[in-house]
Amino acid sequence: MSAFVEIDHVDQVFPMPNGGKYIALKNITLDIQKGEFITLLGHSGCGKSTLLNIVAGLAKPSAGGVILAGKQVTEPGPDRMVVFQNYSLLPWLTVRENIALAVNRVMRDQSAAERAAIVDQHIDMVKLRPAADKRPGQLSGGMKQRVAIARALSIRPKLLLLDEPFGALDALTRSGLQDQLMQIAQEHQLTCIMVTHDVDEALLLSDRIVMLTNGPESYIGQILDVPFERPRERLEVVNHPSYYAMRTEIVYFLNQQKQAKKRKLVAAEPIARNGLEKVNLDIGFVPLTDCAPLAIAKEKGLFEKYGLEQVTLSREPNWKAIADGITTGRLDAAQMIAGMPLGLTLGMNGKPPVPVVTGLVMSRNGNAITLSKRFYHDGVRTLEDLKEAIARTSDKVPTLAAVHPASMHNLMLRHWLASGGIDPDKDVNIVMIPPPQMAIALKSGTIDGYCVGEPWNSRAVQEGTGFVIATDLDIWSGHLEKVLGVREDWAARYPNTHLALVKALLEACEYCDDRRNREELVEILARPDYVGVDPAYLRPGLVTPYDRGTDAEPEQLLRFNQFYVDRTNCPYRVEGLWIMTQLARWGIAPFPRNWLDILNRTRRVDVFGAAARDLGLPDIEPNRGIVTFADGSVFNPDDPIGYLNNLTIKHDNVRIEEISIDPPVAAITH
Amino acid sequence: MTAELSRRSNNSLATMLFTMLGRSIKRLVPTAIALFILLALWQALCSAPDASLPGPVQVVQDTWELIVDPFYQGEGTDQGLFWQLIASLKRVAVGYTLAAIVGIAVGILIGVSLLMFQALDPIFQVLRTVPPLAWLPIALAAFKDSQPAAIFVIFITAIWPIVINTAVGVQNIPQDYNNVAKVLQLSRMDYFFKVLLPATVPYIFTGLKIAIGLSWLAIVAAEMLTGGVGIGFFIWDAYNSGSNSEVILAIVYVGIVGLLLNAIIGYIASRVVPEEQK
Repeated sequence: MSAFVEIDHVDQVFPMPNGGKYIALKNITLDIQKGEFITLLGHSGCGKSTLLNIVAGLAKPSAGGVILAGKQVTEPGPDRMVVFQNYSLLPWLTVRENIALAVNRVMRDQSAAERAAIVDQHIDMVKLRPAADKRPGQLSGGMKQRVAIARALSIRPKLLLLDEPFGALDALTRSGLQDQLMQIAQEHQLTCIMVTHDVDEALLLSDRIVMLTNGPESYIGQILDVPFERPRERLEVVNHPSYYAMRTEIVYFLNQQKQAKKRKLVAAEPIARNGLEKVNLDIGFVPLTDCAPLAIAKEKGLFEKYGLEQVTLSREPNWKAIADGITTGRLDAAQMIAGMPLGLTLGMNGKPPVPVVTGLVMSRNGNAITLSKRFYHDGVRTLEDLKEAIARTSDKVPTLAAVHPASMHNLMLRHWLASGGIDPDKDVNIVMIPPPQMAIALKSGTIDGYCVGEPWNSRAVQEGTGFVIATDLDIWSGHLEKVLGVREDWAARYPNTHLALVKALLEACEYCDDRRNREELVEILARPDYVGVDPAYLRPGLVTPYDRGTDAEPEQLLRFNQFYVDRTNCPYRVEGLWIMTQLARWGIAPFPRNWLDILNRTRRVDVFGAAARDLGLPDIEPNRGIVTFADGSVFNPDDPIGYLNNLTIKHDNVRIEEISIDPPVAAITH
Repeated sequence: MTAELSRRSNNSLATMLFTMLGRSIKRLVPTAIALFILLALWQALCSAPDASLPGPVQVVQDTWELIVDPFYQGEGTDQGLFWQLIASLKRVAVGYTLAAIVGIAVGILIGVSLLMFQALDPIFQVLRTVPPLAWLPIALAAFKDSQPAAIFVIFITAIWPIVINTAVGVQNIPQDYNNVAKVLQLSRMDYFFKVLLPATVPYIFTGLKIAIGLSWLAIVAAEMLTGGVGIGFFIWDAYNSGSNSEVILAIVYVGIVGLLLNAIIGYIASRVVPEEQK
């Protein structure tokens, strides 16, 4: 069923006097059901009134649109009546005339007597009969707002839009009007969108509270469902057991936003050459098939194309070296496993937090779980078989390997095991081994299986030592895999360089995904500068059908290495949130109570968006919504802590704490 | 003298003036004293036998005939002061009314349409700085008659403040009111009469008030050059015949009439402009 109101990928961009652009709203997507009462909440300047004006048709979005009951909103109309913040009554008309102006216009097919009756009925509804022939100048603020509400309701709008309707009123008048509005909305089954920054008002009136982050590029940070029964009574609502918790949640959100506003970043360095602050970059990578975008950007001169004249690609032995290179500043940027920027930001394994940001996802999928052929001979074909096999040999705990605690391999291997009822911390032993050593370790029998990217699965398959029990398409198809990571202060010092780097790699990603270029990719990656292996190991999945090393025929997996298609490249915030829940789930890092702020800082959707727009590519972040995994489990981004609490298999001590990633004050003053 | 004249012209206007006077009686006392000192000073300065201008007593003596019989009707330009003023006021009435009609219409047009505003505003800004009398030769050349030429000068003098103030008024209609009109999808007629006009009226009257003052300034000057019956030519004629007393009397009348014109427009504005917008 389609929603009553669909706000579909709305962007609002304002030109600035200096010729630049101010992106007020970015990618706002929201479905509203009939009869629902929605509140838009956020600090002033976050664009909530702009959004309301877009729904009203008073402002045109720069991109995206609004659909009301199946029809696109193109201009203002009485089906979306607005109750304006400052009442907007015409001062030269009486109360009755103000309402009549609306009724006479909108209901012009009815007789004059019928229209007069409607006007009277609505004057009575807001209890203003004694003041019906007075002009607005003679009324109090509360009375004026009642007239405005009566005027809005008199024309039977499909959607009622309220822009901070009670903001200017004293507390007593306000609560009286709130009760009245609630009653009217209930009686007429009105669909309402209200803008406010009053938390209690939002909780009392709304079915859902949509919280917008601060601008620029405001987006929906969190949506809170308000489950109180209707009809509501003010006191019942306030005394509801979950009222206080919800209120805290909202206030916490607003405080986080306020803090983010105050934060000062490092100033940008002066421009050196080509409009960039820095043109010589050291970029780290680990030899894997999905380092292809870096290799292509280098070989095809894409770095130079965007002004980065001296890029050195540094081939690192393992992910730990990448992490160290970035934290010490030896590397400017690096290809990273998806969880690494967040892991470093949160201070995984007890290390001090080093904020690292992601402006580009370079690849999706591309991993597989390989088990020793021994399991295959024992009849293990599925996860259930594996569980039984482990149970059979209770004296021996199998050792499985991943590449880094914060890598998607580790998180997905654990998620996969847990979904089959295998506790990755108790039923198996998980160790960390660099990707190029996986196949050798399996061959030597040090480990019994691993999760890694290509070509290291195909190598074991082709050498006959292992078989692929699951690819990530079987666990979470389309998950993010490798990202571009730079330190937050680096991004602040070299903003144009960062943007140029993202552009160069984005163009490289597009090149890599074109299947006509895949043979060339294999040829380049096989060189010793990059992966340095036999091309035969690189082809499966990337070019040729994927061979799992089982009896099954090799299968063509078109999305096995995904570099560009299907919105690969946006550092989608919800995915970042899921990663943080997993880091906490397995005790790698605490889950930040201030997750929204962490996401906002580390997922640089704005940098990706700017790069995509410069390249003429779509800059849309995927719809914020529930993530469904192959095992049927779901992740709701509005309640990450609830998700974490509901997981049965997890680390004994899942920590949830406020994580401050700002440098201590003393460090700044030095 | 002020009170005396106003009582003759309009009853309710007089009441209004009286209440105004009553309210500011304290302010009036200093004015009366100042006036007295001024007259005394003037008398003192001009009491010398070789003074080039007459003193106030002399003026009243010389022009007593004109003061007591303003309705005298003679031949040609030999008319009582009342008829001279009426002749001037008629010209102002025609020119000013035309300026108000055209000015409000053009003001609304350029206020509503940004394109029209951008096209016409610079031209208006240049034209409005042209002194009224500079138009007279052109007007005489075009109309080949002094009467329409004088009216044209009034028209062209009065129109600019009306146009500009009306346009500003339309541009300054609060966005809230326009939003209401847009959301309700008001018809053009409804929008014009229920929103645009009431919201703009205060600005229109500001323009009208400035314009009436300018018109009266311009008519006196124009009549001096065009001749015929009218207070301007009366002054010029009196000067040429060496009667400085008559010139001074006419100047007093011109001042008083100018004050009255302003008061009349102010009074109309007070009745028309909505209470909430004052």
